[in-house]
Amino acid sequence: MSSETIEKDAKKKSRVAEEAEERDEEEEEDGDEADSDSDSDSDDSDDDVSDDAATRPMSMVDTMAKEKVALDRPGSARMVWTITRRELAAYFNSPITYIVISASMIGLGLYFYMYKGGFWQVDRVTMQRMFDFLPFALCALVIPLFTMRTLSDEKRVGTIELLITMPVKDSEVILGKYFAALAIVSVQLALVVLYPVAMFKWPWRLGELDWGAFWVGMLGLFCLSAAGTAVGLMYSAFTESQILSFFATMLTLTLLYAIGNVSAVESLQGWLGDAVAFISLQSRFEPFSRGLLDSRALVYFISIAVLCLCVAFHALERRKWT
Amino acid sequence: MSTDVMIYASGLTKRYGSFKALDDVSFEVAKGEVVGFLGPNGAGKSTTMRILTCFISPTSGTAKVRGHDVFDDTLAVRASIGYLPQRAPLYLEMTVYEYLEFAARVRNLDPVTFKKRARQVIEICGLAQSLSKEIRHLSHGYRQRVGLAQALIHDPPILILDEPTSDLDPNERSEFLNYLKQIGKDRTVLLSTHNLKEVEAACARAIIVSRGRVVADGPLDEIRAKSGRVRYIVSVQESAGDAPYRGKGPLPRQSEVEDALSKLPGVTKVVELPTDERAHSYELAGEDGIDLRPEIFRLVADKGWVLLELHRDTQTLEDVFRQLTIGDARRNRQLGPVKEDDRDADHYDEDEEDEDDEEESDDDSDSDDDDGDDERNER
Repeated sequence: MSSETIEKDAKKKSRVAEEAEERDEEEEEDGDEADSDSDSDSDDSDDDVSDDAATRPMSMVDTMAKEKVALDRPGSARMVWTITRRELAAYFNSPITYIVISASMIGLGLYFYMYKGGFWQVDRVTMQRMFDFLPFALCALVIPLFTMRTLSDEKRVGTIELLITMPVKDSEVILGKYFAALAIVSVQLALVVLYPVAMFKWPWRLGELDWGAFWVGMLGLFCLSAAGTAVGLMYSAFTESQILSFFATMLTLTLLYAIGNVSAVESLQGWLGDAVAFISLQSRFEPFSRGLLDSRALVYFISIAVLCLCVAFHALERRKWT
Repeated sequence: MSTDVMIYASGLTKRYGSFKALDDVSFEVAKGEVVGFLGPNGAGKSTTMRILTCFISPTSGTAKVRGHDVFDDTLAVRASIGYLPQRAPLYLEMTVYEYLEFAARVRNLDPVTFKKRARQVIEICGLAQSLSKEIRHLSHGYRQRVGLAQALIHDPPILILDEPTSDLDPNERSEFLNYLKQIGKDRTVLLSTHNLKEVEAACARAIIVSRGRVVADGPLDEIRAKSGRVRYIVSVQESAGDAPYRGKGPLPRQSEVEDALSKLPGVTKVVELPTDERAHSYELAGEDGIDLRPEIFRLVADKGWVLLELHRDTQTLEDVFRQLTIGDARRNRQLGPVKEDDRDADHYDEDEEDEDDEEESDDDSDSDDDDGDDERNER
C-alpha cells in the first residue's frame, strides 16, 4: 500500500472515530438512560441517516447513504493491551512455556557453573559467561519456541477469522501478539537475573559485581530478543505450520548469530567481512556483553524489529488477496 | 435508493488462481430481513460472507454494509456486524466466560453493559451450565452456541451466520430457529445453510448460489414458483382384491394408463411411482398456467377406471434448489446431457433445464432492483 492511500485511510478512520466520539459524548450526556436502553443506538443512527439522505445528492456510484456507525472499539493502545493479555493468558495456559523456561534455566545454570570448570575457573566477579551462552540459547530455542504458535496456530485453527472480523486493525493484532511474545521472553530474562542476585546479593556474597555492566548486558539481551521475536512473528505470519515457523526462526537467528563468530569474520577480508560483521547479531551484541552501550547496535536491533513487524503485517494482509 | 439497504453487494468476483469462487454476485439485503443464503458446498457462500465481514477482499466488485465499503471502511463495517464463521473457530484454551469477556472488551463494552448483555446472551444460547468450562472440553454443538453468543454480545444490527446450525441437534436447531425469528424482527440476518427446511422455517427470502453465481434471489414463494412446473400425483386402482371392483370394464393395465395419461394435452412427463399390487401411481409434470386436474379426472372417468388419488402439488423449495444447482454443476464438470437413469431425483430434461437456468439468471439481474424496491415499498 502506498503512503498516500495509508494517509487517506488514516483520515477516513480518524473521521469515523471523531464521529464515534461525538456520538459517545451525546450518549454520556444522556447518562444512564442511554445505557439502560440498548436499542437507542440503532434508533439514533437511523435518524442521522435520514437527515443525511435528505441533504445528500445521490450519485450513481454512491448509491447508499452512509449510515453513521458508532465505532464501538477501544483506543488502539487498549486494543493492543486486550490482545496482549489474551495472548499472555494463552502462554501461561500452555505447558510449553513452563518447559522452555525451566529447561533454559537449568541449561544456563549447568553451563555457567559446570561447563569447562565454569564460573569458578574464571576467577573474576563477572557474568561474562552468561552473556556468552544466553544469546545463543535465546536464538536457537527460546525465541523460536515462544513465537512459533503466535499467528500460525491461529491460521491453522481458523481463530484468526473470528479475531480479524472483530473491529480490530491488523496492526493491532500484530503488535498485541508481538508484545505478548516479547513479554514472555522478558519473563525468561527476568528469571535469569535471579542468578547474579543469588550469587552476589543474597544469600551469598561472592564479591562485588559491576551491576552497571550487568544491566547493560541485560539491556542488550532484551534488544536482541526484541529483534528475534519480531523475526519469529514474521515467519509465524507466513505459515500455518508451527514446526515450519520454528525451524525458519531458529535457522535465521542462529545463522545471523553464528556468522558473527569472530574467527570467521577475521578470515573474511574487506567489504565482505564488514558486511558480515554488520548484519551479525553476535558482533552487534558483543559490546553489550562487555558493558558498553552501543547506540548503533540499538538502532540495528530496533530496525530489525520494525522491519519484521511490517513484513508480518503485510503477510497478514495477504490473506485478502490469495 | 433507500437507506434501508443494510448489505449491498455488486458484481462480487473472487478468483483463487484460475478458480473462480465467485462470479459477479450481486444482491441487497434490507433492514429487518432474514435472508437464507443457500447453495451446495463450494458454491461460494462462505467466500461471500468473508468478503462482507472484511476478512478477504473481492477480486472485483464492491460490497457495502450500512453504506460503508468493506474495503475502505473496514472498522465501521466490522463494528456493525456480528459474525459466526463456519465451524465456530474459538480459542480452545479459554473458558466460555473468558471468551465472551474478551469479545466484549474488543467491542468496547463497559463492564456493566457486558454483564447485562452477557446475561441475555447466555440465556438465549443456553450456556449457563458451561460458563466456566474450557472451550476445548465442549462439544461442537456447544462451541457453536458460544460462537453465536460472541456474535450477539454487542447487540449488532447485522448478523452474518455461516452455517450456524450445522452442529446442532434437532432440538437445539428448532430452538435456534425460533430465536432467529425473534431477533430477525429488528435485525438484518444473513444466514447460510444447506438445510432447506431451516430456510423455510426462518427466512422470508432466499438467495441461491451455485458455482459462484446467484441463480435465484427473491421471496421463497417466488423462488418456488420459479420453476414454472406443477406436479400431479395420480393413482388408479389396479386390482380390487377381495372387495368388489367398482369400475366399468376390465381392470386397467399399467401401459394402458401410462399411454392415456401421457397423451393428455399439457402433460410433459409421466413417471410411474413405486406402489403395491393394488394401484398404478404416476407422477405427471405439467405447466404452471394450466390446471390439469379436470382433464385427468375426465380421462379416468371416461375410461371407467377407479381413481384412488389425484393431487396437485407445486414444487418444494428442495426441488427448485436441486434443479437450479445440479445443471450448473454438471455443466462445470463438462458432463454431457443427463441420462434418464441418472436423474431419478428430478424428472426433467437437461436441455429444458438449461434454458430455464439461463432465463432465471437473466431474470435475476433484471429484477434485482425491482425486488428491493418492492420490499421497501411494503415497509
